[in-house]
Amino acid sequence: MNKIRQHIYTICFAIILGLVCATLLTAAAEFTRPRQEENKKAEEIRNILSALKIPFDADTSPAGLIEVFEQDVAEQTLGQDEPLTVYAYKPEGSDAVKAVAVRFAGPGLWGPIKGFLALEPDYKTIRGLSFYEQEETPGLGGEITTVGFCGQFEGHQIADEQGQWGIDIVAGGADATGVNEIAGITGATMTCDKVEEMINTIIEALASKREAYVQ
Amino acid sequence: MSNNSSCTTCGGLCGGKGLVTLKEGVWTSNPLAIQVLGICSALAVTNKLSNSLVMGAALLFVCVGSNLFVSLLRNHIPHRIRMIAEVAIIATFVILFDQFLKAYYWEMSKQLGPYVGLIITNCIVMGRAEAFALQNPPLVSIVDGVANGIGYGVALAIIGFLRELFGAGQVVFFGMTIDLGSWYTPNQLMILAPGAFFVFGILIAIFNVLKGDDAEEGQ
Repeated sequence: MNKIRQHIYTICFAIILGLVCATLLTAAAEFTRPRQEENKKAEEIRNILSALKIPFDADTSPAGLIEVFEQDVAEQTLGQDEPLTVYAYKPEGSDAVKAVAVRFAGPGLWGPIKGFLALEPDYKTIRGLSFYEQEETPGLGGEITTVGFCGQFEGHQIADEQGQWGIDIVAGGADATGVNEIAGITGATMTCDKVEEMINTIIEALASKREAYVQ
Repeated sequence: MSNNSSCTTCGGLCGGKGLVTLKEGVWTSNPLAIQVLGICSALAVTNKLSNSLVMGAALLFVCVGSNLFVSLLRNHIPHRIRMIAEVAIIATFVILFDQFLKAYYWEMSKQLGPYVGLIITNCIVMGRAEAFALQNPPLVSIVDGVANGIGYGVALAIIGFLRELFGAGQVVFFGMTIDLGSWYTPNQLMILAPGAFFVFGILIAIFNVLKGDDAEEGQ
């Protein structure tokens, strides 16, 4: 009898402890959610801005970033079915589009990877690339966020010399000489393959809607 | 220990136990330099002084919180599930701190990445809860948490300071900058993980030399 009481006590203790901890955490998450969401939004905007190479002060507050974004960037949709959202950079006071950015996303090695690909107004030359969410192995796959990797994309084309759409992240790196070839990261072949796949998916989506934006 | 648990008015702090506990955590059995616990985070986040200090603060907060609550509940936690109960309490404090960083110090939270969350599995916190808070009254357990938090934080700050100084050539901290000057070429190795091993090894050596006879006695 005593033993059963002991077990019941143990179970009750576990339940109560669990409930108390869960309640505390829920309250904390709920309390900080508005700020966390604002931070996330600002992080996204910071990435669009830096992919588009729009100058902004690095110390700008989240609210300030949203302001810059609303001033200089216009959201457009391309195509009828499965429309594609494009962020167009129109400097204040001018109507000419100076650059466009599209969001890409896909599964990485450990978690989702999300980022922005920015193109020049010819919709063919890469202007910039940035990642705003990734959980790749620090030091290996995690290096995709570095300037050393992202910077390589600048000036490259999203199609090869024959006009075939898509980029190629080359393992080994040294052979990356083509207009659409990027040197991969040694030790992060899986991550590079997945990044290549998700970028090519968005390039294909863009290419299929080419009539919508090429005059 | 029995006379401490029986003493209700001072929470176990009487007879100089508080000071002894403080000295043990910070110095004679410093969690990093003497016990060599919690190495994962110590190697990962110490490439900058500011990161090291925030990590130290996180551990201090978690250690104090979990020690206090484990100690308060020490006579009620069923022995069989005591470790799970400890982990639940620890995890609660870690996630609280993580949420706080994400909401108010986004940049810092991004730099520390998963390592704040990984405090849940930090041997120091679990070790203090299991070895100390479970047997001691609340007040002295808080002191123990503070002591270990400081011991970890200070050791981390020393490593962080040296790595940033020699790895980046300058230490930037709250707007203050200590610059080695242009004659020094920053050594990338110090920023990378091996640099942490070197600095950490030297730190352990220095601690052992300074402690001198104490270390021998312990063996």
